[in-house]
Amino acid sequence: MGAIGSPALILKTVGLRKRFGGVRAVNGVDLAVPASDVRAIIGPNGAGKTTLFNLMSGALSHDSGRIYFEGKEISGVPPDVLCRRGLARTFQITSIFRRLTVIENVQTACLTHHRRQYNLFRSARRLYRDEATALLERVGLGDQADRPSGVMSHGDQRRLELAIALAGRPRLLLLDEPTAGMAPRERHELMRLVAGIAGDTGLTVVFTEHDMDVVFAVARRITVLHQGAVLAEGAPAEVRANPDVQRVYLGQSPEVK
Amino acid sequence: MARPALLAVAALLALAPLVLPPFFLQLLTEIAIAGLFATAFNLLMGFGGMVSFGHAAYFALGAYASALLVKKAGLSMIAALAVAPVLAGVGALVFGIFIVRLTATYFAMLSLAFGQIVFTVIFKWKSLTGGDDGLLGLWPPDWLKSPAAYYYFTVAVVGVAILALHRIVDSPFGSALKAVRENPRRARYIGIDVRRHQLLAFVISGAFSGLAGGLFAFYNGSVFPDFAFFTKSFEPLVVALLGGVGSFFGPLAGAFGFKLLEWAISRQWPVYWPLVLGSVVIAVVVLLPRGFVGLAEVRAWARSARRP
Repeated sequence: MGAIGSPALILKTVGLRKRFGGVRAVNGVDLAVPASDVRAIIGPNGAGKTTLFNLMSGALSHDSGRIYFEGKEISGVPPDVLCRRGLARTFQITSIFRRLTVIENVQTACLTHHRRQYNLFRSARRLYRDEATALLERVGLGDQADRPSGVMSHGDQRRLELAIALAGRPRLLLLDEPTAGMAPRERHELMRLVAGIAGDTGLTVVFTEHDMDVVFAVARRITVLHQGAVLAEGAPAEVRANPDVQRVYLGQSPEVK
Repeated sequence: MARPALLAVAALLALAPLVLPPFFLQLLTEIAIAGLFATAFNLLMGFGGMVSFGHAAYFALGAYASALLVKKAGLSMIAALAVAPVLAGVGALVFGIFIVRLTATYFAMLSLAFGQIVFTVIFKWKSLTGGDDGLLGLWPPDWLKSPAAYYYFTVAVVGVAILALHRIVDSPFGSALKAVRENPRRARYIGIDVRRHQLLAFVISGAFSGLAGGLFAFYNGSVFPDFAFFTKSFEPLVVALLGGVGSFFGPLAGAFGFKLLEWAISRQWPVYWPLVLGSVVIAVVVLLPRGFVGLAEVRAWARSARRP
């Protein structure tokens, strides 16, 4: 647990490695994300984006290297503790509490944020309802609060997962393909929403995304992963102009879903 | 359940001794105890998504703790009933630490294994538990001796316990427990320590099962090792399934239906009644997948389906 050079870096990885059998999924990734960045991590399928996310969020343990969150080493810290410390994430495959209502999803996240999850004696029904309602309105689900969340449209479920993640008032939000399975227009709307929230609150966002239009519209900086390592990093214009990036990724037809 | 319905049930239960003969008061007492046991069990199954195959262990721990505290430690029945759930809860804590590390079938199997350990210990430890002979002569004090008195006492204790469990299901702890049931991974990523949460639910469920065991010990006047046997563990499972695991009051409705069926069928077919009862249970589970309360919910469901 050592402090690192710049306290303004909210997330930093040093020489991060993870292999699955013979596959080096993440092969020495050095990443430095300053606070309030909106960072896209892009790369072809199999570049190691999801593995990197799983390492950074404590879902997987790495083989070697270090991860710092707000200057503290977080290797081996379990996800629930990371979450309580201010690191939230969403998943590539929508992950919500399907048989709870929309607002219960968010209320439950609010009450664990406020450390009430061991309270046995009061009714939870109205607890943090206003806070949850405000979050739902922020993501555009204000009118669906009392529906069962599992019957909502796919796009609305993705928005709900965003609201759940935001309920913990994170300082760092990791979004693993937040727009997977959404129509192009919905993707732009959702990511504009995320960028708006980041701009308003100073929240740092790190996301992966396959739709390059969305990436270039929203990201402040872009990190390109290739075969488990960082190939390039910079502002969108720099990355677009980088010949290496063009060769391995943008030159080939970028995947369009 | 709405408040008027609750008050109506309470009024009916209060008036029952005025019209019912002692036999039916005893049946209602048994129903109340089975209902508490199944409701405690359903805290795990219905709200925590954990199916225990060994819950008889905590019922039996409560029953034997009550019996031993009265017979060997000289406690009063009331004092014994207050301590029994604590001891059952401690048992659930010790076993639960291991059981909640597993999920689904493995969870069920390990809970069954610990249940059989409790059974074996009770069965073999003759000097303490009386072994196969059980512990006899375990009666409530004089003021609770009559069927009506013990009925009122049981219904009151069970009522308070049910209200407490209802409060727990509705509490922030209950919300988080439902989140764990729905999606353990997501639950971790909103900051819930999933295992600790499951363990706490297991302990609460075990303690209330122990209270049911204690009440049954004094109702029965004796305790036997088969209280802990695995067949006893399936009783709350069947009762909860009959009544409906998705609803808080489902297991109570299930206990009522199950015990009435058991009584009616065993009277009609004194030899083959388990066969008939089993067939009825299968039919109900197949035809009413949401249990008895599913009947009541059909209307609410139709109403909500009409909404866009």
